[in-house]
Amino acid sequence: MNIDSIISDLIFIKPEIAIAATLVLIVLVDLISPKSKTALPYISLLGIAIAGVFVVQQFGTAEFAFKTSLSSGMFAADDFGSFFKIIVLLASVFVIFFSISSSEIKSVNDHLGEYYTLMFGMILGMFFMVSASDLVLIFISIELLSLSSYVLAGFVKNTVRSSEASLKYVIYGGVSSGIMLFGISLIYGLTGTTNLYEINSIIQIQSFPHITFLIATLFITVGLGFKISAAPFHFWTPDVYEGAPLPITAYLSVASKAAGFAVLIRFIKITFINSIDHHGNWELLNIIDWRSIIVLLSILSMTLGNFTALWQDNLKRMLAYSSIAQAGYMLLGIAVLSDQGLTATMIYFIVYLFMNLGAFFVVMLIANEIGSEDIEDYKGLGKTMPFLGVTLAFFLLSLAGIPPTAGFIGKVVLFIALVDANMIAVAVIALLNTVVSLYYYVRVLKNLYLVQVDEEKPVIKLSFANGFVIILLAAPILIFGVYFTPIVNFAKNSINILGF
Amino acid sequence: MQIPIEYYLILSAALFMTGIVGVLIRRNAIIVFMSIELMLNSANLTLITFSSYLGNSIGQIFVFFVMAVAAAEAAIGLAIIIALFRNKLTVNLDEINIFKW
Amino acid sequence: MLTEFGKVFAFILTAVMFVLIAVFAAKLIRPARPTKEKLTTYECGENPEGSPWVKFNIRFYVVALIFLIFDVEVVMLIPWALVYQDSGMLGFLVGAIFLILLGLGMAYEWRKGDLEWARPKITPLVLTKTEPPEEKQEKELNLGE
Repeated sequence: MNIDSIISDLIFIKPEIAIAATLVLIVLVDLISPKSKTALPYISLLGIAIAGVFVVQQFGTAEFAFKTSLSSGMFAADDFGSFFKIIVLLASVFVIFFSISSSEIKSVNDHLGEYYTLMFGMILGMFFMVSASDLVLIFISIELLSLSSYVLAGFVKNTVRSSEASLKYVIYGGVSSGIMLFGISLIYGLTGTTNLYEINSIIQIQSFPHITFLIATLFITVGLGFKISAAPFHFWTPDVYEGAPLPITAYLSVASKAAGFAVLIRFIKITFINSIDHHGNWELLNIIDWRSIIVLLSILSMTLGNFTALWQDNLKRMLAYSSIAQAGYMLLGIAVLSDQGLTATMIYFIVYLFMNLGAFFVVMLIANEIGSEDIEDYKGLGKTMPFLGVTLAFFLLSLAGIPPTAGFIGKVVLFIALVDANMIAVAVIALLNTVVSLYYYVRVLKNLYLVQVDEEKPVIKLSFANGFVIILLAAPILIFGVYFTPIVNFAKNSINILGF
Repeated sequence: MQIPIEYYLILSAALFMTGIVGVLIRRNAIIVFMSIELMLNSANLTLITFSSYLGNSIGQIFVFFVMAVAAAEAAIGLAIIIALFRNKLTVNLDEINIFKW
Repeated sequence: MLTEFGKVFAFILTAVMFVLIAVFAAKLIRPARPTKEKLTTYECGENPEGSPWVKFNIRFYVVALIFLIFDVEVVMLIPWALVYQDSGMLGFLVGAIFLILLGLGMAYEWRKGDLEWARPKITPLVLTKTEPPEEKQEKELNLGE
């Protein structure tokens, strides 16, 4: 590989270059005029728009960039990556809107330059994560994402809550990335390469000390499980989600989870695939029983997330446990190990993006006014803030999977995939979990509408722009709940992982 | 006579375990960070060992990146510890416990 | 013949022997006249004032952190330096972009004032005008006494 081929491969990472250039631009703007902070969100939105255009242009390409051998490279530009890049970009746009009106972020207005810089660091990390097909690039991009998000979680640094969340995040994150790196180093030692495609072709013909390979793979799974906050590795999630500023919490729960899922799917599918039959079922190499591992992670996540959420009083913390449970549902789609299951997970992700961001946004707007995220403080608020109350109810019902919403569609597609793969028992457990989750979502609604309060409740004013953002988030849930062909087609068209 | 590869691997596994145990039992945030660095460096040792054993350079290049990442992580971790210390006046992880179940 | 480990062992043995011989030879030769005075701690010949366990200025940490980052990022230049001669002008540009980005970070820190050494605020002996008059009188009284 010579330098000319590297330069010519740069056209495959145009979106990443756009994001990196925006990052540098934000630093420069902040450097030149440190006083004016109003332009920063708009520069960020512009950069995201440019990157979005490049991502959309890239749909349909299936090429390796930065080749390390004739048939494989470090970076796979394919539809699967582009799909998750779009999820990340949409989440970023909404989170920038959230940040503009968040009172927590306004309190650190002096450091807004760093805020957007770090956010673009996160986006850059996630972009490389979803396309990485080499363990080196996977590790570095995960670290880029993690390091930026550690700082952002503790961004409101004069509050104990935020810095404590940040410290816990760093410690858990550091340990899990250390474990993952050790796993990578063992796999490198066993196969002599870090490229997923080459590892696949080597483990197809060669036999290894089976147990070492198993342990190394499990170590890598720990690192990825941490990123998607699946159950045995979820301990950081409630604390960080509760302590971090709300826009960052929303961002971590959607974008960083999406990127983690993309890496996990790519890692499993490329490294362990043996063949794909004409129904789209993946036949994996007989080294590791991935289905059992993922089903185990998934059931643990769902059950633990849902049952712990039952007795949470802080709405942010409740949504954190709910997002652990949602990660469990999405893992089910991977556990099917077929193209149908993968499509179901991707459809669920589109829906999850809107409903989870929406719920966090309404919670943030209410917290801006009443200064609390406690569910008890929500009593009777349904009358003083009709619009926010209705939309919050809508987002929560969608998270629970109630019919007219898109959340229902997401769950139905998942369950169909499970039943088609003869995983009835797992489907039943997931269904029971959904029933449990209904209880804690409805508890919020009960406090909003049914509880009689004597004292006067504050009237919450809603600016026109914020109302518009809420409608932008709620409309897709309503539309996709009824007319879901476009998202199904979109997901079906983007399951092409390079090489298969 | 060469030192067999197992010796390096055992050493790095021992370092890794030291790091894990350190994270689990020590309560001072800074020492926990040192343990995390120990874990990363044990992985570095494995990478270098295999790189030299297999005679390809991927491992060595990777180690450069890991070193840079480890430094960045240490810097961020220490900065966060300072921020927390200014608020709480302690770096003892047992006392950092606003959040419960 | 010695094995690789044997050589290392010989080194260790020599080092340990050196220390032991030096210590014991000193013990044999030197006069031993212990007094109580010799056991006390001292700072530069003076008696110590207070505990040595004092908090350092937080600024030391900030400078150390910045140094740590820049010190280690430069390690990336080592693999680049090995190959850039083969890759001509483009290779040079790649390294230059990396260094420019590092320099940008440096400039950012400088501009944000993280490299300034925050001097401790000197409590003014001369009274400022912003202080309320009653307090002022009191302090003047104190000063007078």
